[in-house]
Amino acid sequence: MPPQPILTYPHPVLKKIAKPVTVIDDAILALISDLLDTMKTGPGSVGVAAPQIGVSLRACVVDVSNNRLGKENNHGLLVMLNPEIVARSGSAVMREGCMSIPDYTGEVERATAVTVRFMVGTGKVYEFEAIGFEAVAIQHEMDHLDGILFLDRIVSLKTGLFRRKSYN
Amino acid sequence: MTKKTEELAHFAVTIISKDRPGIVADTTEVLYRLGCNIEDSSCTMLGGDFAMILIVTHDKPFPKIRLADEFRLLHERTGLTVHLRTLHEDELKHPSEEGELCLISVYGSDRPGIVYQVTRTLADHKINITDLNTRLIGTQEEPVYVLMLEAVLPQGMTVDATSALLETHRNELQVEISVRTITPVSL
Repeated sequence: MPPQPILTYPHPVLKKIAKPVTVIDDAILALISDLLDTMKTGPGSVGVAAPQIGVSLRACVVDVSNNRLGKENNHGLLVMLNPEIVARSGSAVMREGCMSIPDYTGEVERATAVTVRFMVGTGKVYEFEAIGFEAVAIQHEMDHLDGILFLDRIVSLKTGLFRRKSYN
Repeated sequence: MTKKTEELAHFAVTIISKDRPGIVADTTEVLYRLGCNIEDSSCTMLGGDFAMILIVTHDKPFPKIRLADEFRLLHERTGLTVHLRTLHEDELKHPSEEGELCLISVYGSDRPGIVYQVTRTLADHKINITDLNTRLIGTQEEPVYVLMLEAVLPQGMTVDATSALLETHRNELQVEISVRTITPVSL
């Protein structure tokens, strides 16, 4: 399948809670292939979630191995079905952008390490800890499965670098 | 000014008021009533004042005098001050920010010229500031000046090279300067 167009907000699918993948059939395998093709063609894209291509199912792909921020610590190309975060730790703020919200970026706080459990296309279940940028990318893509956009998580305005208190 | 320019429906609106709840609501009520759209805006507390800068458009040709009249009434009622400027079409577009985005923090004991010296060097090297905040902190005995700015580096300019450009100011102004990349991650 060719790469699919990335849907942008306000497409309603982006705010829906996606349904779990219950059976791995040809349609799911085709979805995985579409997600991978779409990620490969997005300029500098490190992940795509199924809702972004119009499919409200709990599936996403992540690959930070070619990114400057992710090349030190990563698990390569990840296909994640029904991913769950089973543990998280640390926190850091990063300025994120999203292909579904063009021309806007914002400071988002994410866990710096997440233990994630997910199924792959063969039905096998994996669990491991991701850190750094890979952890950020996984959290961002998984948010799409719950209809959460980075706009829902912005922690500070660009002008809010230091909060003003009293003037004496 | 030609009549055509006068009727362009793009304006920069600057508002400053002694801070109180309701400044944004009062201002945007006027704009809403006149059918104006807020295309872009930045509003913040500055000292005990609240400052608003808005790019405002109207779908149809719209005389500046109508906005001015409305805001004059608001000024008379609440004391906020307004400045209006007609914008040309090309001032509405966001210029593309192609290069690397970095955050430069400058801080140290307060002294004259910190903002000027640093920004002059940046300007001389075509480094474009996109956002800037300053604040005086510390105590009366030991005032500390903090300058935070975001800037786009031109092609070929690196974070390290930018940091090196500012080295003379570290010594002459006796301030700490750090430069780091904040180019957004695209997910």
